[in-house]
Amino acid sequence: MGEVDARPFPPGDYPLVVVGSGPGGIQVSYSLRRLGVDHALISADEAPGGMFRRFPFFQRLLSWTKPYAPVPRGSRAYERYDWNSLIGEEPSHRAIQPEFMDGTSEFPSRPEMEAQLAEFVRRAALPIRYGCLWEATRRDGDRFVLETSDGEYRCGLVVFAVGVAEPFTPEMPGRELVAHYVDTRDPETYAGRRLFIVGKQNSGFELASGLLHWASRIVLASPRPAKLSVETNSLAGIRARYVQPIEDRFMGGGVYILNASIEGVERAGDVLRVRTRATDGGMDLAIEADEVIAATGFVAPLRDLPALGVATFGPSRLPAQTPYWESASLAGIYFAGTINMGSPGLKKNGVAGTGAVHGTRFNARILAREIAERHFGVVAPRPALAPRDVVGYLLEEATDAPELWNQKGYLARAVLFGADGPYDEGIVPLQAFVDGSGPDGVAIGLEGDSEGVIRPAAYVRRKGAVSEVMLDPDPLNEFRGSSDGRARLTAALEGLLR
Amino acid sequence: MTMTVAERAALLSRVTLFAGLPEASLQALAELAGEAEFGDGDAIVLQGQVGTGLFVIVAGAARVVRGGEELDRLGPGDYLGELAVIDRMPRMASVFAVGPTTCLALASWDLFRRVDGDPELVHSLLRGLALRVRHLSEHHSH
Amino acid sequence: MAGTEELIDELSDLALFADLARPELAGVAHTLEEEWYADGQRILREGFSGTGFYILLEGEVAVRIEGQERARLRRGAFFGEAAILLGEPPGADVVAAGRVRVVHVAGPALHEFLMRHPNVMFRMLQEQTRRLRSANRWAR
Ligand SMILES: Cc1cc2nc3c(=O)[nH]c(=O)nc-3n(C[C@H](O)[C@H](O)[C@H](O)COP(=O)(O)OP(=O)(O)OC[C@H]3O[C@@H](n4cnc5c(N)ncnc54)[C@H](O)[C@@H]3O)c2cc1C
Repeated sequence: MGEVDARPFPPGDYPLVVVGSGPGGIQVSYSLRRLGVDHALISADEAPGGMFRRFPFFQRLLSWTKPYAPVPRGSRAYERYDWNSLIGEEPSHRAIQPEFMDGTSEFPSRPEMEAQLAEFVRRAALPIRYGCLWEATRRDGDRFVLETSDGEYRCGLVVFAVGVAEPFTPEMPGRELVAHYVDTRDPETYAGRRLFIVGKQNSGFELASGLLHWASRIVLASPRPAKLSVETNSLAGIRARYVQPIEDRFMGGGVYILNASIEGVERAGDVLRVRTRATDGGMDLAIEADEVIAATGFVAPLRDLPALGVATFGPSRLPAQTPYWESASLAGIYFAGTINMGSPGLKKNGVAGTGAVHGTRFNARILAREIAERHFGVVAPRPALAPRDVVGYLLEEATDAPELWNQKGYLARAVLFGADGPYDEGIVPLQAFVDGSGPDGVAIGLEGDSEGVIRPAAYVRRKGAVSEVMLDPDPLNEFRGSSDGRARLTAALEGLLR
Repeated sequence: MTMTVAERAALLSRVTLFAGLPEASLQALAELAGEAEFGDGDAIVLQGQVGTGLFVIVAGAARVVRGGEELDRLGPGDYLGELAVIDRMPRMASVFAVGPTTCLALASWDLFRRVDGDPELVHSLLRGLALRVRHLSEHHSH
Repeated sequence: MAGTEELIDELSDLALFADLARPELAGVAHTLEEEWYADGQRILREGFSGTGFYILLEGEVAVRIEGQERARLRRGAFFGEAAILLGEPPGADVVAAGRVRVVHVAGPALHEFLMRHPNVMFRMLQEQTRRLRSANRWAR
């Protein structure tokens, strides 16, 4: 562990600059450093942790770290059960989160998560320039100039890991009377108050759950009916942790859930009045409340990047990205962390890649390798495989690989067939494999089918055309010994296993 | 001639468009359908006019004519205007009764009135058409 | 959830949503997921399971079977529903021709979406009828 310069990376010329010291920025910088890619890491914050230095408000994460897993702590397979630790290449950099948990829950508290991220940075001696705000961007020939509060950074490439945590409240009459999720106070200050929460996604239900025993009445409203994760069979939807308000509503416990758009908020004496319009054929209402809170989401803080040519889309104004997380419209600009949701992948059965740490930490490591290869000539080894081992290896990965489990339908293990026989291409974005060109090969991932049942899915590329081979599910998700899987894969790879 | 709802439903079920409909939807359509009588040589539909409904021949016969040329002959159980009942496009041919002819008639606005109350009906129709489009395009590409 | 007002305006211009009043349209806009594609990217993949239903908001897409272009679709067109309704993988690739913005309903969510918005479904039915007519000139 070397001495870390308190203010490294002064303004100047760098081959690459990473912006952001949340989990995304830390992971990509760590992985780049391991590959020997010279770069600067800057952040507006004063300490590592990004969004987790403040959110979630009610202090426990949505993502688990299971202290007792069926595989040893610190092993690669354990990463599937520990969603929060960053991915280290050395034993002391791995599985840090469980060291920082008090054992009362498998969901770390916010301060435990923050501590884990800070500890990772400390153990890896990762240099970060804090207190450096990126303010504007311009082109200078084929290079970029980042104007910051400390001065100008010139670079050929940028990785923006700036998160998706800028509060957004939609335009509506009386918007100034509406607080945002990020303005939430200590729970006891809501004692006996009537709350109106705009938004029925996780942040809205997180507030409702956290304030359930404080508020005297809670109304949740948004145009679209709430969906539960246990119905969508994915992380999209209200997480199981936050369904208590829904149960209370059915029991008549002072929680009301409306499918309605908010037409406006106005002051009526001491209280606020919210006008709602039903979107499901129900009644239009004017509802009194002491407080109105918008849990209406977050946007990516991209500043002037759209003007520079970065295409964005959707309600979170995410930058559109290639399967390798480069801006789809401006070469040389890359993204890491939760902003990777702008590259949703194949979205089979509607399931996109996750923007949470358990998935994006793997994206970041793949991104580092891609940048190292494409721009710095640092080529990762591709170990050769014996033809007879290929099928077994693929089924092994389907059973245990944390990348495949945590980024279902999004990341895959690829084996390519070169002139000298099969070799391990590594973990790749599935979309890059199925839509890309290249030698014949096979990629295996895991996917939930339309009923949410998890199955291994293999994609075989021959002469540029890719076909899908869905394998059978297993009640215990143990695909290693599947004779059917073995037979199907062997048949699908007929002629290639030489 | 007056038919029972069950008889009308049985006739409608022969129309390819309605082949996959649940019994309840078919009954509901049968209740909306009316009977129309045509004398010998009467136009059942005229080429170029906007199609407003579907006709199933119950008794009698009809000639399908386009530009003066007879294309086809229809008899009991045959039907016309199957797609017009949905999209109200102009008729591509005229159809004239041959002798006294009785038809079961379903108007496009009656079908449209069912849409809100019976979305499963529309869903079945959509699925049925998707299947036909797929069969046709497979046919064409091979 | 940001920016849905603009999306509502955009949707209200499309024939598919012509029968919907604003509150219902708001419900629709919040249900649809927006996506963006670069030139040449595939939106639907021939032979792949688990596909979705798409409505084209901006740009053009090409329908390709075994690499051969069969049709072009433009703003307001929709695709992908047949594969879901029939429970079979798409019989064609749909590829972005230039930059493309679409909204999307996931396959498993389509039935509920259609049941909730029967007027939208009826518009789809009318369009499907036109497709059948053009595929089969002799359709009566
Ligand atoms: C309310 C809420 C709860 C969540 N809960 C979970 C959870 O329990 N588990 C989970 O895995 N994920 C959760 N997420 C998703 C979460 O945002 C990500 O997993 C994670 O924080 C993303 O890390 P990141 O590095 O991409 O972004 P962030 O953690 O947001 O970090 C962004 C970094 O960029 C810096 N930055 C931004 N703009 C600038 C600028 N202009 N100049 C310089 N620096 C800048 C910030 O200072 C910060 O350091 C939650 C999200 C929200 C909104």
